[in-house]
Amino acid sequence: MEKSKSITVLTPTGTLGYGFGAEALSRGMSLGPAVIAVDAGSTDPGPSYLGSNKPLVSDYSIRRELKDLISAAHQAGIPVIVGSAGGAGTGPQVDRTVALVRSIVAELGIHLKLAWIYADIPIERAKAAVDAGEVQDFEVGAPLTTEILDQTCSLVAQMGHEPICAALEAGADVIIAGRACDDSVIAAFPIWKGAEPALAIHMGKILECGAFSAEPFAMDVMLGTVHADHFILEPGSSQRRASVKSVAAHSLYERENPFSQGGPGHIMDLSSCSYQQSGQRQVKVAGARISETDEYYVKLEGARLAGYRSVCIAGIRCPTLIKAIDGLLEEVRAKAIAYFAPEEVIITFHLYGRNGVMKDLETAAETGHELGLVIDVVADSQELAHAACHQISGGLLHYHYPDVINPSGNLAFPYSPSDLDLGPHYEFSAYHLMKVTSPTEVFPVHFEDL
Amino acid sequence: MTSLPLYQLADIVRSKNAGPYRITFDIMFTDKARYEAVRDGGAITPETVAAAYGLDVSQISSFFKIDQAMALKVTIVRPRAQGAAGEGDMYGCQHHVPLMNIAVPAM
Repeated sequence: MEKSKSITVLTPTGTLGYGFGAEALSRGMSLGPAVIAVDAGSTDPGPSYLGSNKPLVSDYSIRRELKDLISAAHQAGIPVIVGSAGGAGTGPQVDRTVALVRSIVAELGIHLKLAWIYADIPIERAKAAVDAGEVQDFEVGAPLTTEILDQTCSLVAQMGHEPICAALEAGADVIIAGRACDDSVIAAFPIWKGAEPALAIHMGKILECGAFSAEPFAMDVMLGTVHADHFILEPGSSQRRASVKSVAAHSLYERENPFSQGGPGHIMDLSSCSYQQSGQRQVKVAGARISETDEYYVKLEGARLAGYRSVCIAGIRCPTLIKAIDGLLEEVRAKAIAYFAPEEVIITFHLYGRNGVMKDLETAAETGHELGLVIDVVADSQELAHAACHQISGGLLHYHYPDVINPSGNLAFPYSPSDLDLGPHYEFSAYHLMKVTSPTEVFPVHFEDL
Repeated sequence: MTSLPLYQLADIVRSKNAGPYRITFDIMFTDKARYEAVRDGGAITPETVAAAYGLDVSQISSFFKIDQAMALKVTIVRPRAQGAAGEGDMYGCQHHVPLMNIAVPAM
């Protein structure tokens, strides 16, 4: 397709399943988008979704929103692309989303070509890369090792636009991609149609959060149109507008370097970008530059099972206890560690009203008439975590301290049972760059005619 | 010279994950004079931000002045990885208060 032709992408929301307005979608569709593209995941909600393969958003919400999107796209004769399906973009999460698509298509009584793309990296593939010196640390501060990979239960890589373009090239109408760069999900269709990659990827960086780049911001519809030397952003809802301020603000969001950003196989230079108001509701963006890297690296995201967690939630109201609490918690911690030794238990006291949110980074003075305490125990088994959590909560409940005025109990539990088992505790184990032989090497595409 | 907490001059002071190992802070303005006063005022620097959080300045991973957006951006290395045992803010979105309370020269 000739480069002069403009291409509009409709992004319905910042995360599939987090909602969008009906008016915004219908108005957005009236503007003639060539594709609906939406992100469904991130590392943002933490390592649990990657490690457990459980979905971030309920099937109910994904199904409801995908049904609206597939229906609208089918009527318009345009494709739907979903990236980072299921929250972390693991194989089981892709499969779960694919099953929802099959069910939606059957219910709608339509026919389409479905594609899905896995982003799982076999552990042996990553180990070979480690052995070949083809893995670099990204921000972990430590190298990836074969030992860490042996502990890793879930490993994905962020795909670029190329595997999605391959699915489009094969005629896919609905594409469910595993872990993908947020911007690649948006940029894939325009790049496939011949748009300037720097513009398409930069547009993807802003569009991927939906109408979070508009004002008032919301999880809602946002559209971007790539032209030959710029792109235009506009919210779907007539109740919102894009402003230079809202768009420029979003270009800083959730990323460290506002001027230079690496992606799969490329580096984006955003230092010369310009943002210009166009009418009341649109912003025109230009100036992104891209350079391809000599070698193609993808970002790995891995999680490992790091134990099992039990917690106890309790309130503390007595001023004599509040005054003594720091020392008491340390005494109780030391007793628990000694009691369970040589078994290892990791004990955290989240003390709200003191430093529950920021821990060691808290510098504020102590104030307040009550404290919230979350006793958080991680151990090798759920039984051990539960045992330690109750040993601590029960112990603290009846712990004697000097100045005690109320000896009948130190903790106000909102719940019975007081100790709650939260199940497996996952931690990130890999956040490194791995060299691949081609942009599509580790991202196999599958097709099915529905 | 009198001073004000940063939040009285800035429109937005926010914190957020930038990947699992960083927290990034954005200080944003709509008024150019206020932006330039804070940008050039010497009260918001890697050193003062580190001090506000009791961090060594080596844990400030970057600091940007972004004129196009009228924004300052500072990023810290997370003391604990996102979601690691003992960590308390999964999205890193409630870490902005010591920054917004830094005293800056009143205009």
